[in-house]
Amino acid sequence: MTAMAQRNLEKQLNILDYALSSLWRRRLKSLSVLLVFAAVIFLLASFQMVTKALSDKAREVLVHTPEITLQKMSVGRQEAIPLAYRDRLAGIFGIRRVVPRIWGYYFDEVRLANYTVMGMAVEEMPDGARLDTALASGTMPGPAGQGLVAIGQSIKKALALEGRTTFSLFRPDLSLKAFEVSGEFSPDTDILTNDLVVMNLADARDLFAIPAGLVTDLCVYVANPQEIDTIAKKISETMPSVRVLTRPQIQKTYQVVFGWRSGFGSICLLTALAAFVILAWDKASGLSPEERREIAILKVLGWQTSDILVVRFWESVIVSGLACVVGMTAAYIHVVYFAASLFRPVLMGWSVLRPDLHLLPRLAAGDILLTLAFTVIPYLAATVIPAWRSATVPADSALGG
Amino acid sequence: MMRNRFPEPMRPALVFALLLCLLLAFDGALFIDGLARRKAEYATLAQLAVVTSGLGLTDLAVATEARYTRHPAVSDPVAPFMDHPGAIEHFPTGAFWLPPSR
Repeated sequence: MTAMAQRNLEKQLNILDYALSSLWRRRLKSLSVLLVFAAVIFLLASFQMVTKALSDKAREVLVHTPEITLQKMSVGRQEAIPLAYRDRLAGIFGIRRVVPRIWGYYFDEVRLANYTVMGMAVEEMPDGARLDTALASGTMPGPAGQGLVAIGQSIKKALALEGRTTFSLFRPDLSLKAFEVSGEFSPDTDILTNDLVVMNLADARDLFAIPAGLVTDLCVYVANPQEIDTIAKKISETMPSVRVLTRPQIQKTYQVVFGWRSGFGSICLLTALAAFVILAWDKASGLSPEERREIAILKVLGWQTSDILVVRFWESVIVSGLACVVGMTAAYIHVVYFAASLFRPVLMGWSVLRPDLHLLPRLAAGDILLTLAFTVIPYLAATVIPAWRSATVPADSALGG
Repeated sequence: MMRNRFPEPMRPALVFALLLCLLLAFDGALFIDGLARRKAEYATLAQLAVVTSGLGLTDLAVATEARYTRHPAVSDPVAPFMDHPGAIEHFPTGAFWLPPSR
């Protein structure tokens, strides 16, 4: 029994040898197929790893997002919400705290960059007292700190502060408002704080010239997280013009926003599929005279149809397996060590402030299988028919012709 | 007995197996480096958690070009079509990001 198994193994090894040397004989063609295939897998796997790393990060981080966020909608757009709405929330049982915020975007016309300005009483927020631990230097601006701000790394670079701690921004009427940097967010939190300018509520109101009594949104914290949905429903019943965003909705957004269906994803997928179809077509469309001759000679030498099928199978496995390993390794290096530099122009578009993305995809067996299923398995399937066609060539017709 | 001047070439299957081992060893090295990076990432996770809850952040700062890609979770649903009804999305990041479904 063992002798037979050994013979069988030896036979498979010999066939593998033959398949390898036949690939080597056509090395230019094999190599080009391998490279194109690896490039297709590289593109697909890179896209998958970037989106996975970003959505994983979002999932880990957004568990701490406000439980309920309230925005006022008017004519289909968001606008400032009156602070007086807080009184109407007071009647809803289960709300622990309501924190008003003023936030928005400041377009710096000199550097053509968008800053995200946030004004709030950080001491009222959960973990607000611990915010200093997330700073690389300095402290968070307190309620009394008039004109003090904490800034993200890109703001520091954009404003070219280099040792200076003061800068000015324009109010809507083009008068200047001076700020002093009291703290600087750590580069480790770039993915959240890169473009932030955090100040107290009064300064933000002054900078954006927002009338007293209005804020951008209200963060609502509830006593029991199980009741988020119930309280959100009560709020939207009490105030129908208010858009109520709950923490699970925000978390869900990020699990959806980077999807296979997103524009770039489908372009990658289509490109990959087109390349694959060309490859498979090349494989499937007829045999070259040399290939027919080779098969005929093998058959004359006593090879069986099944042996030739096995050779073709090994060839496909070697090419697609090698392409898969090379493509996925290259994709991992591209995403982790080069921060997905090929995708950055699309991922960040015309953004002027760009965070240093430290992407670390968590590769599960399922993701690798998904890539395999999209690439290697169709390739193997597509090579079965030509393999069978080639194996059934009658020896005499190939040699005689 | 005369010795062969040239050693017998390695059989192709062995060469291929060696190549595969080399590639897998390289992947193993990447994996070990990945573990070290993961450890460093866990260390910063606490900071990220403090920032998120302390400032009530709702979004990742990846693209800063348009408000609906800077804050996809809280921007209003008509933002991509704000210029006129039926306006085509014109920011490049809009191609990478799927509009959030509500």
